[in-house]
Amino acid sequence: MAENILRGRAWVFGDDVDTDLIYHNKYLAITDPKEMAQYSFEYYPGKENFAKEAKPGDFVVAGHNFGCGSSREHAVYCLKELGIPVILAESYARIYYRNAVNNGYPVLVVPEITKKVKDGDELEVNLDTGEIKNLTTGEVMHGDAVTDLEKEIMAYGGLIPYLKAQAAKEQK
Amino acid sequence: MGKTMIQKIIQRASGKEVKPGDRVWCNIDLSTARDFAGPNCVLQFDKETEGKGKVWNPDKIAFTFDLEAPSRSEQVANNQKLIREFAKRQGITKVFDVNWGIGQHVLLENGLVKPGWVILGTDSHMNLLGAVGAFATGVGNTDIVASWILGKLWYRVPETVKIHVTGSFKKGVCMRDLLTKIVGTLGAGGLIYKAVEFVGPTIENANLAERITLCSMVTEMSGKIGLIQPNGEVLEWLKARAGEEVVELAEAIKADPDAIYSEEYEFNVDDLEPMVSAPDAPDNVKTVREVAGEKLDQIHIGSCSNGRFEDIAAAFEVLKAADFKIAPGIRAIITPATREVMKQCAQAGFIEKFLAAGVIFTNPTCALCTAKHYGTLPSGDVGMSTTNRNFIGKVGKGSHTYLASPMTAMASAVRGVITDPREIIG
Repeated sequence: MAENILRGRAWVFGDDVDTDLIYHNKYLAITDPKEMAQYSFEYYPGKENFAKEAKPGDFVVAGHNFGCGSSREHAVYCLKELGIPVILAESYARIYYRNAVNNGYPVLVVPEITKKVKDGDELEVNLDTGEIKNLTTGEVMHGDAVTDLEKEIMAYGGLIPYLKAQAAKEQK
Repeated sequence: MGKTMIQKIIQRASGKEVKPGDRVWCNIDLSTARDFAGPNCVLQFDKETEGKGKVWNPDKIAFTFDLEAPSRSEQVANNQKLIREFAKRQGITKVFDVNWGIGQHVLLENGLVKPGWVILGTDSHMNLLGAVGAFATGVGNTDIVASWILGKLWYRVPETVKIHVTGSFKKGVCMRDLLTKIVGTLGAGGLIYKAVEFVGPTIENANLAERITLCSMVTEMSGKIGLIQPNGEVLEWLKARAGEEVVELAEAIKADPDAIYSEEYEFNVDDLEPMVSAPDAPDNVKTVREVAGEKLDQIHIGSCSNGRFEDIAAAFEVLKAADFKIAPGIRAIITPATREVMKQCAQAGFIEKFLAAGVIFTNPTCALCTAKHYGTLPSGDVGMSTTNRNFIGKVGKGSHTYLASPMTAMASAVRGVITDPREIIG
């Protein structure tokens, strides 16, 4: 399962990162997810150039309550479209977590990660085991992937494919 | 074992015995979308069903236009048109267009919200409908689309926190101040994944506007829903709008005396004073006295948190005590939550007085909840608002916002600086 081992640079954000910081309300009228990527973190002080500088494969690392605030799914689409493969945060706000799961977008809960990872550190993330290595410092952490029904939904790539698969099963 | 309100609601909607942590599928009573994210739902639904899909039940779907109403850009105008056309094509008749006001309030006033109902909306403050015992949540477009296809949605059964409130507000202090105090005490992540029940004599005696204020900011603590057991005048109001069955529905969601709560908090409001959320976070809470004297460029009264008639009436009383004069140079904006509220304000004679004082009185809409609306703040300006969020740059890059009660906002408009309303109406 080598494809599930990812390497990239960490971009570290704080606690209570709200959806206006991730994707500002100014751009809510946009309906095409591809257009959303360029506005990621535009309002985050000190990380205004994130969308330009982050490379596909880089990781978003954050503290507690990531994605608090609005229900806009734009805040998930923008990072997914930018090529951020997974978010590593200490905890997630409820709606953001749902929106990520519903899109099959991996979000790992990693206790105290903002104390163990600095901006620019190289990380290796194993999406199957949840093991996270800080290649810059050598420290190893463990992230909890989603469980229960969320895991099942994620396995199908999101809520709509999951529902379609369930409907197909019922027909058989 | 006893059940909390949310457990009873989810039990009815899922047909299963539930405990906190369980994942269940609930039948949806009402699935709504607004002019923002609503267009994303329409496009996604059409894509997933290849343009041929029919929604599960057009009578259980509603659209509200509130975030940019009326539209001020071609993009939004086209988005709104997309919704109108979809509704027509699908036979959805509950379309509350740009002349109605803020979604949740419009749904309530039109009798479309009942205790115990499971409701969805593309608005993270949908859960203010917990003020009448409905389980409403804000969700993204994928959840809405799934509900339109299936009529069901997945839920994690939350733990319940009990917040018990006693005492009476002193003059110049109100429910918004209590709410600010609670957000400051529990913090931005204080209710993560949890449901809340607001109980106690102060809550039982609160009017609908106060209950809405209280429930509207559960989201600002990352909570799932704040619920209040409908009683007294609120239940009568609801009965008149939504029909006799609300009495039975309300009875069915009552928490059992031996229900289990994950945490319990006590608040007493007897000695509470006016509070603010200082820039740039709702949980950066201070007393008005601590920040009094700071110069303001603009105040705004309205939003789903504090845009009802009682809120505007409270601001009116402050302005009246100041001989209907606001400070030179300050921009004061009042936005009623709905057309019905605006009509009440007109009938009470408020609007004429506000206009004479130089206050801008707008049509009903969400107003200053986005930077795309009128009242956007320029960089360096400081505003005060009765909305529910003051995140960094939310209503204009480089600007800062204090969140406060309608009385504090109007008192500050009168003086041009942050002012304790008790100094004016005391």
